[in-house]
Amino acid sequence: MSEAKEYGYFSGLFHGIKTLLTGMRVTFKEFFTKKVTEEYPENRAVLKMFDRFRGTLVMPHDEEGNNKCIACGLCQMACPNGTIRIESEMVEDPETGKKKRRLVRYHYDLGSCMFCQLCVNACPHDAIRFSTEFEHAVFEREKLQEILNITKE
Amino acid sequence: MGITLELIVFLILAVFIVASSILAVTTKRILRAATYLLFVLFGTAGIYFQLNYSFLGAVQLLIYAGGITVLYVFSILLTSSQGDRAEKLKNSKMFAGLLTALAGLVICLFLTLKNTFLPSHFEHGELPVSAIGMSMMSGEKYGYILPFEVISVLLLACIIGGILIARKR
Amino acid sequence: MFDFSIVTSWIHELLTSVMPAGLAVFIECVVIGVCLMLAYAVIAIIMIFMERKVCAAFQCRLGPVRVGPWGTLQLFADVFKMLIKEIITIRHADKFLYNLAPYIVVLSSILAFACIPVNKGMEILDFNVGVFFLMAASSIGIVGVLLAGWSSNNKYSLIGAMRSGAQMISYELSVGLSILTIVVLTDTMQFSEIVERQADGWFIFKGHVPAVIAFIIYLIAGNAEVNRGPFDLPEAESELTAGYHTEYSGMHFGLFYVAEFVNLFIVSAIAATIFLGGWMPLHIPGLDGFNQVMDYIPGFVWFFAKALFVVWLLMWIKWTFPRLRIDQILTLEWKYLVPIGLVNLLLMVMCVVFGWHF
Repeated sequence: MSEAKEYGYFSGLFHGIKTLLTGMRVTFKEFFTKKVTEEYPENRAVLKMFDRFRGTLVMPHDEEGNNKCIACGLCQMACPNGTIRIESEMVEDPETGKKKRRLVRYHYDLGSCMFCQLCVNACPHDAIRFSTEFEHAVFEREKLQEILNITKE
Repeated sequence: MGITLELIVFLILAVFIVASSILAVTTKRILRAATYLLFVLFGTAGIYFQLNYSFLGAVQLLIYAGGITVLYVFSILLTSSQGDRAEKLKNSKMFAGLLTALAGLVICLFLTLKNTFLPSHFEHGELPVSAIGMSMMSGEKYGYILPFEVISVLLLACIIGGILIARKR
Repeated sequence: MFDFSIVTSWIHELLTSVMPAGLAVFIECVVIGVCLMLAYAVIAIIMIFMERKVCAAFQCRLGPVRVGPWGTLQLFADVFKMLIKEIITIRHADKFLYNLAPYIVVLSSILAFACIPVNKGMEILDFNVGVFFLMAASSIGIVGVLLAGWSSNNKYSLIGAMRSGAQMISYELSVGLSILTIVVLTDTMQFSEIVERQADGWFIFKGHVPAVIAFIIYLIAGNAEVNRGPFDLPEAESELTAGYHTEYSGMHFGLFYVAEFVNLFIVSAIAATIFLGGWMPLHIPGLDGFNQVMDYIPGFVWFFAKALFVVWLLMWIKWTFPRLRIDQILTLEWKYLVPIGLVNLLLMVMCVVFGWHF
């Protein structure tokens, strides 16, 4: 712990002036730097959120429309709010005759999701992830209930 | 003399000063009396400016309105106890005060009207400041250097007195 | 250099040819009064807008951008909001003094504003004791502040008002000393004369070391005189819940607010007039071509550029430093600024007597 130096009259005066000028130089430089404020609705064309931003839950599908979900239900159990509801069915595999679980519908309630990412962490196959899309405002609450998987017809 | 702008302005200022002075001595609240005094000082400064003596008008505003009134208001704020209303005067005291004021008015009017004033040598245009400075600091016959120095000694005594009263023991 | 007195004398002749002289003077006074109040309001709006944008730039943000192009109409929205706010009357407050106090502050501000020369021949009050009158006008505002604090019937307002009053009367001394230093350099107190005599160089260059020191002292003391910058303890919201104007709302508060910003402009304009040459362009003695080019730019452009530059300096100071306590404010004045100011005055007197100036 350094002790406070005792300044006399003149040395205190000059020390004070020096420190004041140091502070003023800092704000002077700040005055001329370009501001990082982004003006939101006008800059939608160039807006890019950072990768880890949790906007909404999506289930990525490849070109043929397949997803990686095996309907294990781990995400449903991990969610603290009960946001995810999985409807699955047991299907008989035609070749081997074994029964396998298959995903029918993946309910996701955007209104009750708290974006904690526990579901994504729990999924063993990286079937679901968060995208950076954040503009979700709607006028009816029913529109917030989403079905995340796309079934092939 | 006809009705000139100077006359109208003088009348307005005079009415303003008289009304404010009467209000200043008849009101019961101390701080309002200080405010009415401020108005009287403004009016007086206005009369000095009308006489083209801007130095005295500026001094009036600076010292009286800006200094003495602030002094009054500070001392009222620091020393007033319960509220700021003065006590109600007894009728006999008010009558005696009115009589004294009337007597003073009669004496002043008598002296003013009986005295023969010198004819006023009214120069148009303002008094140059260097003339004021020279007369204040010169030691010749009509110079004011002695009162000037005596006043500064008086102010020094006030400052020393104030420090002595306010110092920590 | 465009001489505005051509316009004023033309108007005066036009009026005196159709009506008696007294009535002409009366009408001229009314017109000048209206123009003065309009200019007051316009300058206040420009100042407040500049404050918000400059403060934002120092604080790494953008300031108002949405209302109007680059946020220029934000101020009109704010003024409209302030006008329609309810004026709350306080119980047990002295109503006459409570309503009078903002007007005294604004009166002192308008009187000081009327002294500033904007262009050649464009000044309203031009006494030959102009500097003296300016100091007188600014000392009237103190009474308004004290009355505002007392009549609000609120002990925090009273404390704020007394602190503000003590601060203002202390720093008036330093303001007077630094202006006096320049009055010693030029032997006149009249503002138009002060500006005329800077035709061959501004006073901050002519009186070298003492004038620069006086300029710095004037900036600090002027800042404190108008309760701005690091000296705004009386109106600090975290300290005294807005000090002497706590109990004022709506238009009354608007008057205090406007008076504060115009006082800032007045302090800067006086600094620009006395130290930086007012409406006088930059002349370097000896370079005649340069001087001719400088003369093409009209006087009021020079004046506003200089005044706004000094305003920017004062805003830079305000948004860099934290607030000072009242005992630090008074220590700064009485232990540092007054002795330095007095020594500086002596130095300037020696410079003038021995001819060590340009």
